[in-house]
Amino acid sequence: MDLIEFIPYTLIFLFIGAVTALTVGIIEERLGKGRVKEVLSVIFIALALGGVLILYREIEPSGVILFSIIKNPPLGSCLEADRLSALMAFSTLFLGLFVGVYSFSYMKHDTRLGEYYSLLLLMMAGMVGVALAGDFFTLFVFWELMCISSYVLVAFRKETWGPIEAGFKYLVMSSLGAVLILLGMSFLYGMAGNVNFAYMSVGINWGTAGIWAYLAFILLFIGFGIKAALVPMHTWLPDAHPEAPSPISAMLSGMLIETGLYGFIRVFFVVFMPNTVLLPNGSETFKYVFAVFAILTMTIGNIMALLQKDIKRLLAYSSIAQIGYMLIGVASGTTYGLLGCFLHVFNHSLMKGLAFLASGALVERVESRNLDEMKGFGRVMPMTTMALTISLLGLGGVPATAGFVSKFILFGSALGPGVNMWWLTIIGVLNSAFSIAYYLPIIKTLITKSTESSPQLKEAPASMLIPMCLMAVLIVVFGVYPQPVLQLADGASKALIEGLPRYIAKIFP
Amino acid sequence: MLEIQVYIVAVLSLLIIGLYCMTFKSNMIRILIGIEIILNAANLSFIAFSARFSEYVDILAQSIVVMSIVLGGSVIAVGLAMVVNAYKHYKTLDVKELRRLRW
Repeated sequence: MDLIEFIPYTLIFLFIGAVTALTVGIIEERLGKGRVKEVLSVIFIALALGGVLILYREIEPSGVILFSIIKNPPLGSCLEADRLSALMAFSTLFLGLFVGVYSFSYMKHDTRLGEYYSLLLLMMAGMVGVALAGDFFTLFVFWELMCISSYVLVAFRKETWGPIEAGFKYLVMSSLGAVLILLGMSFLYGMAGNVNFAYMSVGINWGTAGIWAYLAFILLFIGFGIKAALVPMHTWLPDAHPEAPSPISAMLSGMLIETGLYGFIRVFFVVFMPNTVLLPNGSETFKYVFAVFAILTMTIGNIMALLQKDIKRLLAYSSIAQIGYMLIGVASGTTYGLLGCFLHVFNHSLMKGLAFLASGALVERVESRNLDEMKGFGRVMPMTTMALTISLLGLGGVPATAGFVSKFILFGSALGPGVNMWWLTIIGVLNSAFSIAYYLPIIKTLITKSTESSPQLKEAPASMLIPMCLMAVLIVVFGVYPQPVLQLADGASKALIEGLPRYIAKIFP
Repeated sequence: MLEIQVYIVAVLSLLIIGLYCMTFKSNMIRILIGIEIILNAANLSFIAFSARFSEYVDILAQSIVVMSIVLGGSVIAVGLAMVVNAYKHYKTLDVKELRRLRW
């Protein structure tokens, strides 16, 4: 009965880590001292990252592997891993490792740290689970795990009003998204009689589905779109990201919204895309829908970011714009475009993660998020400012940073053979140039000499500096020598498009 | 046994009621109830479809519904905890008062 081709070590380590961190945290809270839980959580994240590497090795021969217990798919729920899932899990845990180390000193003045680390690990487990899910039921369970722990983490500093207000707004919008996904899933179930992705791909008679197929598509689009912060549904993001503690902002902005995008890409390319009877012009029309959302998302994200005075709010709007760039790759629908999309997911997780971590270090010292009050502070915190500068240049797509490579591929993909969306490239490039207009003033504000007496501040502590510097170095390294990541993203995009028959054949031999 | 269309009409009306509740009500707890109504629309939809494919009900849909009730309960628990905290800060349950962040 059991079909175990791989063991999800990643999830196992993350769950064990969550329970351990909570238990040790409670004991340490009683004792009133001790830093074992931090170290333990980082160790478990590192072990989980090792689990992803094992997963990569196991995927290599066949391209897609399956894990299910008690009952075989399509009836039983299963985890189905291909290179795309592995890339998403890898990006999550890679960023998570830095975030875990950074939290050491950033969170040290807070209480309830056991809960914090436990929830952080559970949130990662949710994201990894969404990436590995092979059917809608598994996806939904891990989706809710990810969502619920992120609600609590956004509102973690409940002593002030900001996080509570942002957290409640985030909870209402995001759980509306989750229930819409469930409703859309129930319509797909009504058509297919099953919730397995591969089964839905071949088992639905789209000819007779009629309006229900559109309804299911719209519900799923809105549901995943709320999480991915596509523009009409983005209003939770600019509140939730600044109010969360900085490591959590990095995690939310770096991977959580991309997980929403991933869920959508997976469902769309496996279930809807192969069945082109839905619209008169088939999948071509879907591409235009994505293109319109890409343009809306990046333009409005960029314009709103330009108007912000709050540094973390600015970065939050810039995340929306970056999601717009990723959608260009999805709109092109080719392997090359998706390669750019997944490369940008990985690069963006590093760049935006670093931007949030570095600005968090600054905000902690300056005790204000207002850019006007930060004038000249970059001169007393040179390392942090250096890291922030590199990440901002990367986000703006300056050559020799990782952001340039992925943006180059993304904008190029809209011109590729059979796509012919030159207007999308032009708008993308213009937006990217426009975004420099708000990245550079941050750097300028930080390094101009203050007119008042020079501020007396210390550099950020070492446990914050080490992850930041490592990430900054990695951004430059992947900008100059992108081959290793390029290979991972290439495998991921091929697994999604060319590997689709294999993905389905795993359930239907 | 009722036709499946009857259930679908019920599901869609529950969806509309839930969306109305979330959009136009200003009490925080009512907004949470709106989420719960839409969740139950999805559950009803699963149960209605579960009898469609064979003579017996499909246990897959039943197990999904049991799980989604649990998950919905957890979301509402977190939401209510936030409502309690919001009440401590603002001394009101009116969501229109929570406007210090720009919406």
